[in-house]
Amino acid sequence: MSTTITQQIDLEKLKQAIDEVVYTQIDSTILYYVQSCVNCKACEAGCPFSADGLEYSPVNKAEITRQLVRARFTVWGMTIGRVIGGAKKYLKLDEAQTLADYVWHCTDCGSCMFVCPMAIDSGALIELMKQISFKAGIIPKVYKELEDLEVSEKYWDIKEIQDIWNGLINKIGETIGKSVQLDKKNSEILLYSSLYEALVYPDVIIKTAKILDMLGKDWTFMSKPLGIRPPIGIVIGDSEGSVEVMKRIYEYFKEINPKYVIMTSGGYDYPTLRYRMHEILKVKPNYEVAHITEALAKWYEEGEFEIEQLDEVITWHDPCQLSKRGGVIEPPRVLLKALSKKFKELPNHGVNTLCCSGGGGSCSLPSTIENLAKMIGYTLDESDKKFLEDRVKSLKNAGKKKIEEINKIKPQKVLTGCPVCKESIGFSIDYYKADSKVYHIVEILADRIKVKGK
Amino acid sequence: MVAFPYYPIGNSLYNVALSLFIPTIFFFFAGATYRIGRYLITYHSPLDVNPSMPLRGKVSGGEKIKDLVNTVANSSKVGAKRKPITTIVGLLMHLTLILIIFLLAQHMIFWAYYIPPYSALFPLAIPESAEDGLLALTMPGHPTTTMAYTFVNDIWGPLTVILNGQILTYLLMVFLAIYLAHKFYALAERLVIRAGDWWFFLLLFIDVVLGFLASSHIPNNVTWYDNLLGAHILVAEIIIATLPFTRGFHMFEFWFGKVREWYFMTFRRGAK
Ligand code: SF4
Ligand code: SF4
Repeated sequence: MSTTITQQIDLEKLKQAIDEVVYTQIDSTILYYVQSCVNCKACEAGCPFSADGLEYSPVNKAEITRQLVRARFTVWGMTIGRVIGGAKKYLKLDEAQTLADYVWHCTDCGSCMFVCPMAIDSGALIELMKQISFKAGIIPKVYKELEDLEVSEKYWDIKEIQDIWNGLINKIGETIGKSVQLDKKNSEILLYSSLYEALVYPDVIIKTAKILDMLGKDWTFMSKPLGIRPPIGIVIGDSEGSVEVMKRIYEYFKEINPKYVIMTSGGYDYPTLRYRMHEILKVKPNYEVAHITEALAKWYEEGEFEIEQLDEVITWHDPCQLSKRGGVIEPPRVLLKALSKKFKELPNHGVNTLCCSGGGGSCSLPSTIENLAKMIGYTLDESDKKFLEDRVKSLKNAGKKKIEEINKIKPQKVLTGCPVCKESIGFSIDYYKADSKVYHIVEILADRIKVKGK
Repeated sequence: MVAFPYYPIGNSLYNVALSLFIPTIFFFFAGATYRIGRYLITYHSPLDVNPSMPLRGKVSGGEKIKDLVNTVANSSKVGAKRKPITTIVGLLMHLTLILIIFLLAQHMIFWAYYIPPYSALFPLAIPESAEDGLLALTMPGHPTTTMAYTFVNDIWGPLTVILNGQILTYLLMVFLAIYLAHKFYALAERLVIRAGDWWFFLLLFIDVVLGFLASSHIPNNVTWYDNLLGAHILVAEIIIATLPFTRGFHMFEFWFGKVREWYFMTFRRGAK
């Protein structure tokens, strides 16, 4: 086991965190996930981190939650289980270190659920571990720093961040040849972007705006981002902080009152803003949150535009949060089939797509985190560096499997719909020197969309 | 000189086992009620936040059914591709176990005694051994009693050469041994292995061996037979009574888990 977080673990604080999380979060779903696992280890085959070691297989990681729940909620766990094992009321120091290590070896990608014959979502159990870890203060400092900035909204006080965002707005304006409508109420579409996307793929946002403009849509953009990659709290286990940020996002959406909120990211923010935010806040939105591929597929099928074909082998990497967690599998395929007759599926796709290991709980490429840290003036300490180094190891292991399957079909272009997938697969392509290139689907589509009658 | 040795009827494990069957069922239902009750108490219905989704469109009835089939089949399909050996052994083990428990002629008589409508399945009875199989529908022999004939006059035909209790039991013992070995492997890899894992498999393994010895008359002695059969039933009763507290309960919950997955993916699209 590699321990990635070396700061002092306060066992008293950890005890309190365990009680708070386990006692408050138990419900029939978690109970089912805890007691129905048959330990068949089928989930091992779905998890990108099994390649880092079998101890990172979903069932093994999630066992910590199971033991904590059993000790509190099962007759066996409250009695014999505590003596012969299988149930633990609290964790010892070495177990706490294991927990700290395991939680960052899960992207909450959902693969384990689809591979599990019992449909158990180990990711959901690991998420509880992450909440415990956060409450106990066992968290990579750089993530905590970024989230604090997001929750407090202080990121907007940083001039460099303002420059990046305002620069993006200007570039969109230059591309469409007119000034961008900002925060316009009652527009049909709100083009949603986080600061993170503006940083890693501004071109994708600009090209999406170009498409909306070409199609003559009534759309608006945000005068400032609603967070760094909101809500970061969801992926680092800060349930309270994430609620604060979600309230802010919801208030903004409600105020702008669009018909559609369209995003280019198919990362964890997609299912979060689409479902989870509303479930947590217990509100029924008047708008529909959609990925850009859902909107484009619909408009394409309704005949709003044609797509000029490519004569190349292309494939699609299903982002886990978009496909497995979000259920968006068909729409990108409508577009890809129109884009090239040589569209080929990867051997594992749809709900069985192999995770790039960069998303969800792992929070993107280490180099991007380093850049963000630099931008906000935070100096990475030794534990942060060690943590990020470990992330690179996982990316290489998961990337190897991804590249092997990409090489099987040898596409010229791998298209996807998520900033982190694009970064992670790009990293693997470079590292393993594959012949393909990776793009966000909008990057290719924007120049090949022909609006009818124009 | 005694023509037949003395046989103490009513003084074997067999009788003990039979008299414990009803209490076993009672324990099982009490345990199952406890387990299901906990789900009901902690249940809160999910909020459907997206009642109308114009961009995403509707899912047709046919697609929903296709999704359900895919949901149930997906884990086996992926498993067969990515972990072929364990998946195929697992599937065969389940198949063998189901056939033996529910269709072995002897077991069918037992089930039909407690649940009379079960006798409707008698034509599917699997004979105990290949020799009995010779009396199958397509290879009629000349049984001396009508009762024996009824139970071997099945629809399996020549298949009874492999579809018989003995062969299925050999296979089951091998599969269960592979499963137990898998647990030791996990132990050696320092992975979590729970008491429920080896306990359930061990009981199952012992039970299959006991049933095999009894039905094969090893040793060939009527007192041994009654005790072995009694022990076989007793172990089965321990398994049944403790089912709600072991992994064995997955035979009921499996369906629930898959339907739940289907509901979330097809109707709610991805919400956890
Ligand atoms: S696949 Fe499911 S049942 Fe099997 S070990 Fe993993 S979580 Fe448990
Ligand atoms: S959610 Fe994904 S990363 Fe997490 S345990 Fe499951 S398969 Fe592994």
